[in-house]
Amino acid sequence: MTTSEPSASPHTATSVSPYGVKLHAFEGPLDLLLHLIRINELEITDIPIARVAEQYLEYLEVMREFDLDLDVAGEYLLMAATLAWIKSRMLLPVERDEEGEEVDPRAELVARLLEYQRFKEVASELGERRLLGRDVFDASAPGPVGPSEAEREVEISIFELVEAFRSALRRAGPSGAPHEIEVETVTVQERMVAVMEAMGTRDTIEFDAVLSAEDGQLVHRAVIVATFLAVLELTRLEALRIFQGLNGNGVPQGPIHLRRGEDAAATNWRGRIAGSM
Amino acid sequence: MDRTERRRIAEALVLGSPDPISVARIADIIPYCKPAEVRQLIDELNTEYVKQGRAFEITEVAGGYQLRSLPEFAPYLRQTLKVRPLRMSQPALETLAVVAYRQPATRAEVEHIRGVDVGAVLRSLIERKLVRIAGHRDVPGRPLLYATSKRFLEVFELASLEDLPTLRDLQELAPEGALVIDTDADPAPSSDVPEQVAPSPE
Repeated sequence: MTTSEPSASPHTATSVSPYGVKLHAFEGPLDLLLHLIRINELEITDIPIARVAEQYLEYLEVMREFDLDLDVAGEYLLMAATLAWIKSRMLLPVERDEEGEEVDPRAELVARLLEYQRFKEVASELGERRLLGRDVFDASAPGPVGPSEAEREVEISIFELVEAFRSALRRAGPSGAPHEIEVETVTVQERMVAVMEAMGTRDTIEFDAVLSAEDGQLVHRAVIVATFLAVLELTRLEALRIFQGLNGNGVPQGPIHLRRGEDAAATNWRGRIAGSM
Repeated sequence: MDRTERRRIAEALVLGSPDPISVARIADIIPYCKPAEVRQLIDELNTEYVKQGRAFEITEVAGGYQLRSLPEFAPYLRQTLKVRPLRMSQPALETLAVVAYRQPATRAEVEHIRGVDVGAVLRSLIERKLVRIAGHRDVPGRPLLYATSKRFLEVFELASLEDLPTLRDLQELAPEGALVIDTDADPAPSSDVPEQVAPSPE
């Protein structure tokens, strides 16, 4: 264990990974509360709510400054409100239930914390097991049918796609000769159908191939733009997936391929295209 | 057919089956073989492997046997993968844990325990076939019920759900008398109570 510099990231716990110090945010408001309880060496069943609520808000403030966990901010705020509510109830005279037992305003929160804590424990136990595909590998299963030959699957970033798109644009004809009057309208939907038809019964096709004309003629820029959008749309509809091979050093290299999607989306692409528009 | 021969048949069955092969199935295939003997045969094979210093062993997963490489060879095997090695994030593990112990559970029940939105995590677990949709709960809104899959047992090397690590007792976490925890307040049904599950439309 190392400690992070308090000024740099008091809102995160630090852990050492083989790749150096890795910062990670909390898994949620309950995780943050457990962390506060741990660092203050508090008894989970007897939390000084006022103090913990104050620290909780401080952490929230820092997290907000770092723009962390914005997508879950609502959950953190809800917990802040719960803490404030419990704090206010702690100031009131002791409540009793129907049987005359004292009601601890913290009881429900404590129950949730304990519940979460034990799931967190088994979660890390599960994570430490020998996992198939990470620690152990089976002999008999054919495994997922992956890309053939030496081509390993990598995720293609939007930048590589845009690069391929740009080089297609460079090859393309001018954006409309001055004398040209007839304007051919191209729709993304048309191009989606064209891309899928170009694939025919094949499983893969080069991305470059769908961006250029079959007869080697120059393709109008509008067609290229529409085709590019069509490929993105087909990927979104899961009718296509985009791949690139890796070289010996594990760096993506070579042509980008479009591969037919794996499920019904791929076979029912006409329906998908019609439904998407 | 002597013992060695039967052991070799069991070995061949485990090696050649595309999925984990159950004790019952092996007992069916080997003539005059009882389930207890199958377990002995597998134990003998594993003992043999250890003695010979083999790089694999027979593991019991998802109600069957499967031949798997030993963990020490993972760094080498990962290089043969066509896809990235399996990765399990903390949110994924926590969500899986809640689903595993509380199944069938609704999304709201999982979210109540974790205190965060689990929509995206659940979707990715379903995509990875570790979690499946197990029907609807027959309450207003008919929320979907989630459960772990057979694949989950295979990936986590669990023979069955009973093999899950034991969830610590709440009483053990909360010292006696420190606080009365109202377990009835827990919205999730206890997993040992059979639940009426409406069949999934799929």
